[in-house]
Amino acid sequence: MKLRLKWLFLPILFMSLLIFSLSYAQNKFKLKPDAKGKLCLSCHDNFKEKLKNQFIHTPVKSGECSECHNPHTSSHGKLLDADPNKICNKCHEGIVPKNPKSSHKVVTEGNCVKCHDPHASNNKFVLLKAGNDLCFDCHKNIGETVAKAKFKHNPVEKGCINCHDPHASTKAKYLLKNDLVVLCVTCHKTDQPNFVKQHMNYPVAKADCSSCHNAHGSDKAGILFDNVHQPVANKMCGQCHEASTSPDALKTKKAGFELCRGCHSSMMNDTFSKNRIHWPLVDKVGCLNCHEPHASPRKNLLMGEMKSLCGKCHQDTMGLQTRLAEKERQEKAAAKDNVMKGALTHNPIREGNCEACHTPHASDSVFLLKQPSMIELCGTCHDWLKHTSHPMGEKVADSRNKNLRMNCLSCHRSHGTGYQYLIPFPTVTDLCVQCHKQYKR
Amino acid sequence: MQKSFKKVESWNIGGLEYWARRSIIPLFRYSSLIILLISIFFLPLKSFSAETVKFKYLQSIYFDDRGGGIKQPEGVACNDKSVLVIGDTGNDRLLRYTLEEKNLKAGTEIKIPQLSNPIRVQLNSKGEIFALDGKKRRVVRITPDGSFKSYVDPEGMPAPAAFVLRSVKIDTNNNIYLLDIFSARVLVLNSEGKYQKQIPFPKEYGFFSDLAVDPKGSVLLVDCVKAMIFFSAKDSNSFTPLTRSLREYLDFPTNISTDSRGIIYLVDENGGGIVILGQDGSYLGRQLSAGWNEGLLNFPSQMSINEKGEVFIADRGNSRVQIFTLVK
Repeated sequence: MKLRLKWLFLPILFMSLLIFSLSYAQNKFKLKPDAKGKLCLSCHDNFKEKLKNQFIHTPVKSGECSECHNPHTSSHGKLLDADPNKICNKCHEGIVPKNPKSSHKVVTEGNCVKCHDPHASNNKFVLLKAGNDLCFDCHKNIGETVAKAKFKHNPVEKGCINCHDPHASTKAKYLLKNDLVVLCVTCHKTDQPNFVKQHMNYPVAKADCSSCHNAHGSDKAGILFDNVHQPVANKMCGQCHEASTSPDALKTKKAGFELCRGCHSSMMNDTFSKNRIHWPLVDKVGCLNCHEPHASPRKNLLMGEMKSLCGKCHQDTMGLQTRLAEKERQEKAAAKDNVMKGALTHNPIREGNCEACHTPHASDSVFLLKQPSMIELCGTCHDWLKHTSHPMGEKVADSRNKNLRMNCLSCHRSHGTGYQYLIPFPTVTDLCVQCHKQYKR
Repeated sequence: MQKSFKKVESWNIGGLEYWARRSIIPLFRYSSLIILLISIFFLPLKSFSAETVKFKYLQSIYFDDRGGGIKQPEGVACNDKSVLVIGDTGNDRLLRYTLEEKNLKAGTEIKIPQLSNPIRVQLNSKGEIFALDGKKRRVVRITPDGSFKSYVDPEGMPAPAAFVLRSVKIDTNNNIYLLDIFSARVLVLNSEGKYQKQIPFPKEYGFFSDLAVDPKGSVLLVDCVKAMIFFSAKDSNSFTPLTRSLREYLDFPTNISTDSRGIIYLVDENGGGIVILGQDGSYLGRQLSAGWNEGLLNFPSQMSINEKGEVFIADRGNSRVQIFTLVK
């Protein structure tokens, strides 16, 4: 009997604890019945106007202000009950699925208030703005493209969320709701005669639509990207690909640079006449390492902005620039009103203009430099005669090494070093005494 | 002690008893001692094999035998017979030296019309020179006396017939290994240049800038974009990753070589240093750093090491070849 009572006592104790904790959680500030939001509004009078909005956040609607705010004290701004970047997750935990293929940066950072009003709004999902205006606040370039486009893509006009998931996607990059081709063919029926005709009878149903078309709209008919490869514009797919009737129709007629050489022979001949070649040009992928074969929003059909394109392989160089830019930013912030002399980064690299110094295909000079003389190359931007009176040129030997001649790189490193003026030593004195040893202290 | 003896007696296996008393029981008794002895005698051997080697600066080569300066050399090769060949890239020529007892002799120019812009150099056991022409992307075979012998064009090669050569290596049996970046493969030829086999590149890679053949005949590839090493055993026909990305240790590896023990040396061109890896790809250390002074490197291009532990580095940015010796 004693044992039976014991077994009965334990569940009762457990249930009591559960009821207590639930009731505590629901009213942890022991507010009087009927108090809740009304009590808050007695002081926050201007908030009443907010509540007249069409869409109200559920806890606000039910007057549960203490779901998010602590009425007494808090370590966070606006008396928030938790870290502002994490507080939404208390209720909206699964907003970013596990292992997404892409996720919206503001969401992963917990910056929900960039898009949503935490209290109320006249837009669905308590969004700050309606429709695409909200997205274009940040994605300005796309907004401009969409606004200016002569040929518009209907789903974009209707709303970005037709194709994109604003929080995260488990299926595709760029927050796309599905794999690009799957997404496109939901509207564009690939077996329609007009579609087949427009694509010159080539079996493109499973091809990457974005290799030619700008889904956000374009000034070119068929919303092709602004820069179209001539054979594509002329609908002469067979110039590069096997015949459309071939079982391997999308295969190119030749591999790598050999395919491009057919039309771009003079450029190729010029490239191959140089002493040094940019090696990826002659590998298996060839020109397509950097250029799009069909169309591109960028000049010369480049695959991406030069900074990211070159950085794809030269990660060390671009990584250094990122680190130096951050260091520069910190040093400038620390210097406050004092003007900082000597940059840590080199303008062309920071701006992603690698072509200012290098030729992308081939050169007779090391590092594929545009000019054989380093002094002349730097002189295209820097008036070095005004900058320095130090002897330089082919007749001036470097005292550290008789095989070297004095030029700009004798003292500077064009990609930066972490020290001002792009010199490889902390101070100018440290640099000078490398040669002028008599002044070394 | 007595207890365990009794236990053995209880096995009642007759003739084995004596053996058990003499061998097994003492083995158990002294097991901790044995383990201790193994630790003392064998572990140092293991750590010796993985010991990081260090480079000690010996001297630099700046000039040919006529006093002409070297200009932006990208290739260097040595053999165990003290022959050293420099690809004096900026001057479109080769230079041949001998290094005996740390004494450098000659510096004879080899300039032939079939070769310009030598960017990689190799020597075979007969003293023949193999130089990769960076402009024509062809390998030129030169006799020990410095005259043109032939181009290395693979004979009897199966499709695809097109190739673009990025590097060349010669193994101890004089077989020729070509890094063909156009058809994404390593071509293996015999000493006469006849096709033996091809090993396709792995599916996922960035860009292969060089290859090496270790003493066991395994082929190694260095991926300068992913900063990884790929490996193919002697009889294998495929490459597998030997290392993960080594980006934390280097910037842009463009040259790979191995010594007689199979230790791997990577030339970090942009970082101005040499990264040393064990045969299994484990990181053993980094040697040298960037700069102008002797013992420092400025965009090094190729490294070569011989049986004597002499290391030669084409220090392109400093227009010289530096000689080091390995010390432990």
